[in-house]
Amino acid sequence: MATPPLSDAQLIARCIVGDDRHAFAELVKRHQSSIRACLRKLTSGNAALSDDLAQETFIQAWRNLKSFRQDARFSTWLYRIATNCWLMHARKRHEELLGDRDAELVVEDAESMSHGLESAANHAGSSAMKLDLERAMNVLTAQERAAIIQCYHNDLTHEEAAYVLGCPVGTVKTHVFRAKQKLKTALSAWGPDAVGGVS
Amino acid sequence: MSERPTSPERDTPSDWVDRLLADDAHEYAQNYIDDAGFSAKVMQQLPAPATLPVWRKPAATLLWAAVGLGLAFTLPGAALDVAREAFKLFAAKPFSLSEVFVVIAIAGAGMWVTAIVAWRRV
Repeated sequence: MATPPLSDAQLIARCIVGDDRHAFAELVKRHQSSIRACLRKLTSGNAALSDDLAQETFIQAWRNLKSFRQDARFSTWLYRIATNCWLMHARKRHEELLGDRDAELVVEDAESMSHGLESAANHAGSSAMKLDLERAMNVLTAQERAAIIQCYHNDLTHEEAAYVLGCPVGTVKTHVFRAKQKLKTALSAWGPDAVGGVS
Repeated sequence: MSERPTSPERDTPSDWVDRLLADDAHEYAQNYIDDAGFSAKVMQQLPAPATLPVWRKPAATLLWAAVGLGLAFTLPGAALDVAREAFKLFAAKPFSLSEVFVVIAIAGAGMWVTAIVAWRRV
């Protein structure tokens, strides 16, 4: 009779108590897809960068496994580390624009993108819409982008997203609201008011 | 109760951006990224385990055994003398019931504090 697979908690206990690397390898195999996919979304599809960050995520997870208190799901804890890795990277590279002046630039970007997308109503198929959504996501700040991805793509609750982003629940809701407003502006060509838009 | 942003109750039906994001998220959830050696690469990058030399444990045991034997031979009866004197000192002092109660209370409080600190560190 085949033995049932061990739970995440059991594997974590083995890692902590017995320094069991096989147990950690099993955890990595189990969660690699979701963490890499999340980081790919955060890095706008940069596979090489997202894999580097995913590797860093799992190494940090191994180092800090003893501090994991199981007050959240293991996957949520990994999302938290992954998001922090990405935010650190974004800050280092100045890829994300933060601050008042930068926020203005972001709004300008959104507006210029909206004008550029006016012809989008003529596009057919979901691939064009997907591409535009991907482009529109780039006008969001790092925190807004992370909030949208955690809440929508990773299907986390606001409370879980707040844990991942390390901010209050109210701030997550604000990030999501602002992000959606910006996306609405940037993707207005796909809106219900546009010809052939989403009804 | 936790609320999910994608729930229809939260957003108005006219929120087409919400639907766009939900569709994108649905597609995202369908994509499984194949491991393709990723896990093996992570395991190679993990810091090396802090292993102690094989001879360290038996050597330490031998050393402590030698120290114990040495003390037993050089200080015969010392532990017994100390215990006897401590008992004499203890027996000579009359204790009231309230003093005994205070000592027990302090010891109990100390145990509870230690237990709470230990529990919070786990």
